[in-house]
Amino acid sequence: MAIADTAGHAPHTGKPTGLGRWLFATNHKDIGSLYLWFSFIMFLTGGVMALAIRLELFSPGLQFWQPELFNQLVTLHGLIMIFGAIMPAFNGLANWMLPLMIGAPDMAFARMNNWSFWLLPPAALLLLLSFFVPGGAAASGWTMYAPLSTQMGMGMDMTIFAIHILGVSSIMGAINIIVTVLNLRAPGLTLMKMPMFAWASLITAYLIIAVMPVLAGAVTMVLTDRHFGTHFFNAAGGGDPVMYQHVFWFFGHPEVYIMALPAFGIISQVIPTFSRKRLFGYTSMVYATASIAILSFMVWAHHMFTTGMPATAQLFFMYATMLIAVPTGVKVFNWVATMWQGSLTFETPMLFAIGFICLFTIGGLSGVILSVAAVDTQLQDTYYVVAHFHYVLVAGALFSLFSAVYYWFPKMTGRMYSERLGKLHFWWSMVWFNVTFFPMHFLGLAGMPRRIPDYALQFTDFNSLATIGAFCFGLGQLIVLYNLLISLRRGPPAVEHPWEGAQTLEWRIPTPAPYHSFVEAPEVDADDNGVIHAVRGGTHH
Amino acid sequence: MALQPQPPSMPPDARRALLLKLCVIVVMMFGFAWALIPLYRVICEVTGINQVVQADTLAEDTARPVSSARPVTLVFDANVQAGLPWQVRPLVRQLSARPGEFVRVEYEITNASNRRVVGQAVPRYLPAAAGEHVKKLDCFCFRQQVFAPGETRRFPVVFVVDRKLPEEVESITLAYSVFDVPGSGG
Ligand code: HEM
Ligand SMILES: [Cu+2]
Repeated sequence: MAIADTAGHAPHTGKPTGLGRWLFATNHKDIGSLYLWFSFIMFLTGGVMALAIRLELFSPGLQFWQPELFNQLVTLHGLIMIFGAIMPAFNGLANWMLPLMIGAPDMAFARMNNWSFWLLPPAALLLLLSFFVPGGAAASGWTMYAPLSTQMGMGMDMTIFAIHILGVSSIMGAINIIVTVLNLRAPGLTLMKMPMFAWASLITAYLIIAVMPVLAGAVTMVLTDRHFGTHFFNAAGGGDPVMYQHVFWFFGHPEVYIMALPAFGIISQVIPTFSRKRLFGYTSMVYATASIAILSFMVWAHHMFTTGMPATAQLFFMYATMLIAVPTGVKVFNWVATMWQGSLTFETPMLFAIGFICLFTIGGLSGVILSVAAVDTQLQDTYYVVAHFHYVLVAGALFSLFSAVYYWFPKMTGRMYSERLGKLHFWWSMVWFNVTFFPMHFLGLAGMPRRIPDYALQFTDFNSLATIGAFCFGLGQLIVLYNLLISLRRGPPAVEHPWEGAQTLEWRIPTPAPYHSFVEAPEVDADDNGVIHAVRGGTHH
Repeated sequence: MALQPQPPSMPPDARRALLLKLCVIVVMMFGFAWALIPLYRVICEVTGINQVVQADTLAEDTARPVSSARPVTLVFDANVQAGLPWQVRPLVRQLSARPGEFVRVEYEITNASNRRVVGQAVPRYLPAAAGEHVKKLDCFCFRQQVFAPGETRRFPVVFVVDRKLPEEVESITLAYSVFDVPGSGG
């Protein structure tokens, strides 16, 4: 039952120091921390842009920004949140936790891991600097539709280049995850016993290597159309701008699941812990995750219902999209069934997980409404779509990340965060998130278009409300920043086993996690969802 | 406690082999993005989805004589991509014709610049579903048009509105968008 060599073993020696520790980092925990801090900084950067957008939309007319700058803000907000905040954050968590959860000494390719992180800051810099070049940043929306994207100034070239770099980074990260999970699991931890977070990371990584190259291809075509005389997306030269949308969304829809599946994985760890029960329907969770991933390749044209597709194609994509709601529903019901008759407690990670379930489900439902081709014809490019994807991305992906950070904070740092501030952060975010984004459903239904800096007078009240909500929500994120910083320095030392319901492998090693954990692979007696009955061997230093 | 015997984690060789396989997937998917372009073209050709700039053939249709068909209003319009120095205007803005009847209209195009310009017109229909019932026999949109500096020319558009046009369509708008063909200008 005991791990050899744990008790009182101090975190160790041989830890590199100074700047070099981070620049040449190969330790998965260091790289994980770099990813997490980077994504938090990007989250704040993208957040400031969001507030700039909401500021302009507080009242009708143009007050603060010219439409050109407004469009640039909308574009960069989307790109930075997706490629700079959410994807790197999930990758950082996978870096930190996967080796601990599956009993591996580190990620499979430590040097490549260093590269995949250090590509991110230059790419982010490129995106931010593009605001200051002639013509400004890309202003086409994060989707970079042709023919807009084939016309803009050099900000677009910088964006394309940044996307190439970000793509290479996330592909390398994904390869690392796949090889780690498939090759470095501790003996005894078979695939069908792995924690759901490992499953979700694995499947997500496959999605990434399948679709990031397609995005790279799409933006490369935009680049050659811009500079090298090709006409992929130019009607006059025999190309077709709608073709861009097909190629982009072939990447784009799996991409939204790249941001959703890891969230499902986190929730599937947190809910059982604080329900003090085993995850309900583990096998069906694995199959649901896999089938969502496969189905996600067959629904891309639900973003294109208004491009003049033949009715039969619309029907196909409509039904295929609705089909995705089935495995998604399986997951939601399994989480609820896990909580059913559990002895629940509501620490901050659990609060964010429950908040996730409630709000993500709302986002899923508005998604099903959008999937009805006849309805989407009306709602396409309105604020209804904005409401939909913020429910699944902010209340979904972001809340799950908060849940994960609070959940694993004691294991990562050896200190406890402030539960009082954590709860405040949750309730604050929960309230203001809904104040910000729920009215957008009404605005969209009433016909307010997205990505426009001005609007008709009748939309004023809901927009003002959304802006107030957004500023309060943004302010609330300083609570978590403060909580993390203060707890890192002065938080009370975490107890060895902060959550008594937690049963996966990472809770079997000392707190804080030793710098070199599982130097020698442990042998485990495992059960569904990574529940560990016994560990033999496994040394750390 | 009894532990099932398990194989040790895979050796570094296996890791390298897997890395290689994954890289092959990445390269193949990058290629797939480019393959989508011809793939879509083939799909469109096979299914006849994107037929707007091709010459049509008329099927035998004697179901309804021309004279008894109800006339539809035809509206002609044109617009030019920003920056393309062409003026495009239909000589007749609107007329009324019976399905089955041959219609011939003319468009006048002027290159208002002092350089040689190549353009391509792409037709659109409103309602879009009426498009498949407008059978074009001749159109300047069938090919790219080269214009000398300052040149003006007239082009005929000849078409028949199919007698299968649904009853409820009372008016059809035919609108051309004219694009600059990049890389071909002087
Ligand atoms: C049951 C599940 C879901 C269904 C049925 C669904 C359906 C749809 C549909 C039909 C649209 C197109 C709306 C339009 O542009 O008119 C859409 C947009 C979108 N969805 Fe979902 N969705 C689902 C889940 C998700 C999830 C899990 C995410 C991300 C985590 C997501 C992110 C997005 C985004 C980002 C857009 C907008 C893209 C853009 O135009 O910028 N959706 N969804
Ligand atoms: Cu989608």
